[in-house]
Amino acid sequence: MMKTVLPLLLAIAVALGGGAVSVWMMLEEAPAIDALRIGPWTAFPNAGTPQADPYSRARFVREGGIPLGKAEGIAFTATRDSNGQALRRECAYRLSGTLPVSRLWTLYAADLSGMPLPPTGRRAPALHSQMILQEPEGIEITASHYPAPRNWLALSGQGSMQLVLTLFDTPVSTSAGIDQISMPDIIRTGCDA
Amino acid sequence: MLRFLYALVLGLVGVGIVHVTILFMLPAYSVRDVWTRLSTTAQAYETVVLSPSVPGGRVPTPRNPFLKAAACRFDLSEGVLHVRATGRVPFWSMAIYDDRGLNVFSISDRAAAGDDLDVVVASTAQMLALRRELPAEFAQSVFVESEIDQGVALVRLFVPDKTWTAVAGAFLENMRCEPL
Repeated sequence: MMKTVLPLLLAIAVALGGGAVSVWMMLEEAPAIDALRIGPWTAFPNAGTPQADPYSRARFVREGGIPLGKAEGIAFTATRDSNGQALRRECAYRLSGTLPVSRLWTLYAADLSGMPLPPTGRRAPALHSQMILQEPEGIEITASHYPAPRNWLALSGQGSMQLVLTLFDTPVSTSAGIDQISMPDIIRTGCDA
Repeated sequence: MLRFLYALVLGLVGVGIVHVTILFMLPAYSVRDVWTRLSTTAQAYETVVLSPSVPGGRVPTPRNPFLKAAACRFDLSEGVLHVRATGRVPFWSMAIYDDRGLNVFSISDRAAAGDDLDVVVASTAQMLALRRELPAEFAQSVFVESEIDQGVALVRLFVPDKTWTAVAGAFLENMRCEPL
């Protein structure tokens, strides 16, 4: 009796436990499959659409949310700088380079769960294309604790962060010419000790 | 011993089956999608401004600090959906989510004739009927053919700075979702 029941229980335990853990690990740890990566920036053009693969869809379902549609725009996030080091709130960064064509774009700093960082005084760590000084050769933005001339993204606090760059009404989101687009570099220029 | 080895192999096959089952069942049992969360706070065709101050705080809100949004649920079996709002905002866009919270359609104000939001969502059959005889109030509308009957229409506005808050607030407050 025990000789049949014990192996059966073992098989069931392995199947249920292993199945649950493997799904959890795929959703939590594994990198997304259909990500669009340009330099330090990552976007998920299919997130939250019927075209997404089953893993992206399950991941999206766990988080909920209201992703942008293809005609609305596309959101890029960066959690690391161009040298591969994790972005930190106590560090200063220079974002420079060109952006794909879009009607407008926004840039804000958020914690790793996606909530925007608190403002420094009345200045929120958020910029958009209609409030920045344009440079002839693209954009140049300084993200730091300390005020910087020209375009300043006011960071505050300590710990890890991500940058979210959203392009609105852009051909990028409909995946036309995706391999030719360029995004700004994120270069660390210093850190508070 | 052989018996346990056999059980282990059986278990590993089971891992695959359970893995795939959980993966495909997750979306069906989700309660965090926009449709489910809106269903618990508002009636169909009721416009909800998606802000953290909505009672219960259960509606999804745009994370982007420059965006404001409002949404309503609709059911095309009750008639064509007419979404309207007036005002001058720098950018608006509208997305349609199905009852699983997936984004199935979106347009931006580039498609509109003027500054106002005036969109008609209709099923294929309703669209045919509309083509035969266009009601006068739809003369300026953007037409969207929808493959789904039940869904959520969600409108996003770009709010460049605080001086636009009142304009954007008024735009979302006067947004109407009506069956016709």
